[in-house]
Amino acid sequence: MISIKKLSIAFLICCCCCANGAHASSIAFSEEQLFIVKKQNMGKQWLMLLWSVDCPPCFKELAIIQKLQSQHDNLAVVVINTDADDDITKERIDIIKKFELGKLSHYHFIDGQSDQSRYIIDSNWYGELPRSYFFESNGEFHGKSGLVDEVILTHWLVL
Amino acid sequence: MLIMIRTLLQVITITSLMLTATLTAAVEHNHQAMALKEVQAGNCEKTEITCAKTVTTAFSPNGDLWRLWTLNSILYFQMSADNGLTFSTRRSVGIDKEKISARNENRPKIAFDKYQGVYLSWATPREKKYTADVRFAYSNDYGKTFTKAITVNNDNLLTGHSFNEMLVTDDGDISIVWLDSRLAYQLRKEGKQTNGSALYIGKANYRKNQTTFSNQPLANNTCVCCRIAMDFNNNNELAVFWRHIYGDNIREFALLTLSQDENAQPLPYQVSHDHWQINGCPHQGGAISINDNNRYHMVWFNQGDLGKGIFYASSSDQGKTLTQPISVGVQSAQAAYPHLNTNGNKIDIVWTQFTGTEHELWHQRSNDNGKSFSAAELLAISSKGSDRPFIIKKGNVSYVSWHRLKQGHLVQAL
Repeated sequence: MISIKKLSIAFLICCCCCANGAHASSIAFSEEQLFIVKKQNMGKQWLMLLWSVDCPPCFKELAIIQKLQSQHDNLAVVVINTDADDDITKERIDIIKKFELGKLSHYHFIDGQSDQSRYIIDSNWYGELPRSYFFESNGEFHGKSGLVDEVILTHWLVL
Repeated sequence: MLIMIRTLLQVITITSLMLTATLTAAVEHNHQAMALKEVQAGNCEKTEITCAKTVTTAFSPNGDLWRLWTLNSILYFQMSADNGLTFSTRRSVGIDKEKISARNENRPKIAFDKYQGVYLSWATPREKKYTADVRFAYSNDYGKTFTKAITVNNDNLLTGHSFNEMLVTDDGDISIVWLDSRLAYQLRKEGKQTNGSALYIGKANYRKNQTTFSNQPLANNTCVCCRIAMDFNNNNELAVFWRHIYGDNIREFALLTLSQDENAQPLPYQVSHDHWQINGCPHQGGAISINDNNRYHMVWFNQGDLGKGIFYASSSDQGKTLTQPISVGVQSAQAAYPHLNTNGNKIDIVWTQFTGTEHELWHQRSNDNGKSFSAAELLAISSKGSDRPFIIKKGNVSYVSWHRLKQGHLVQAL
């Protein structure tokens, strides 16, 4: 009796915690997930930003997104971590928290699937970071490697 | 009991509804939010090499092949007396546990002298993001015991020091180069703009009781996330090859040779001219090998406006002039991560390609000092991931070392 009560309470707490932390969650990246996110964003202009914990310039782009997000609601940005390493899960989550980007949609490459995941997105991309994909409302996109200027990001996402 | 289970089910149902409601609110707030799913952090508790992200290999002067890897803050090594067919029992390096950078371009290094000396160097992350120290330990009894690890960089700053490379002469002269952020740290403190890291060299000799590493800057404004490469030329001068930042974030490879005359200012030459403009991290360093006739052979990877893919070139005057770069591998097949080594007039180049599902290890050889190359040959395949490949040398035979994540470490004669 006691154990079932305890179990019920534990389950309740667990679920509430999960719900509260919903915004900070990350989804394991896959071809299916990419299809879904592209479909969801069809009809609008959006940005897919890929980053790694080992990439200092990526942090600068995350900081720009953080700034834009503080000024504008519903920023159409999807953030994907490319480390493909379960060992850095906490580090990845901490960084997203630090930049207060939990409200955005987050994905991460599955452990050991870095190149496979990269190839799914763009077979002409070699893994250099940060990598930004500018999606147009009709689904067409182009990629750019390296830190993107704040003016360009603002123009793409806000104006 | 039935009532209790029913109560539990009711709690679960109510909680699920609450969760759904909260999630719905989240989705409404941001319609891009998706179902919650988080892959649990994999805890590779094992000590086996297959769990490691990187493997470092080198032949010792007596012909033993050593391989080195790290897991859970411990360095492990094995030896092979038959060029990698079989290995000795795994042993841990007898130093205190500490974090060791071993991913992609960053990995521990191992070298030897001719007196049973074993030299280890690695980067250890510090408490703040993008800060690390270059560390070092020495064994004078062929790995049975090691000295207490010391820090090579001498600035006592909580800033970046990593991507260490190490060479040791037969007599125990240690040269460690690394990417160092102390200059950037100071400039930022002064409110000044800066870009990239600096290239530093540290020297010591434990056999001569020179156990404190010198620290000397060699170049400023280097790329911050690509490995360095180095080799001795025929005058026992150290040549260092790295990715530099030119102008407005043009990331090209540079080469300098450290003269025996320590007062001479090293003169770096720009080696690649592919015009890769990127304010970011290529995560791909190059490789250099200097052969018996003092010709410098180099490979690199770029994605510039003027050159994309892997390139090979050589120089007879320490990089001042260069042969016309030759394209290596298939660019459209994701050719990347080249490494090379020389053996007389033989030049071996290895690299990886990617099919979308499998990694491939490729090899190409020149028998005429790089003037021409044989057709590329597929050596091996990996289905679960790929570390960078490296060529190591024993006598006049070259071997490729390629760690395949969760699959195993391959050593194969070329």
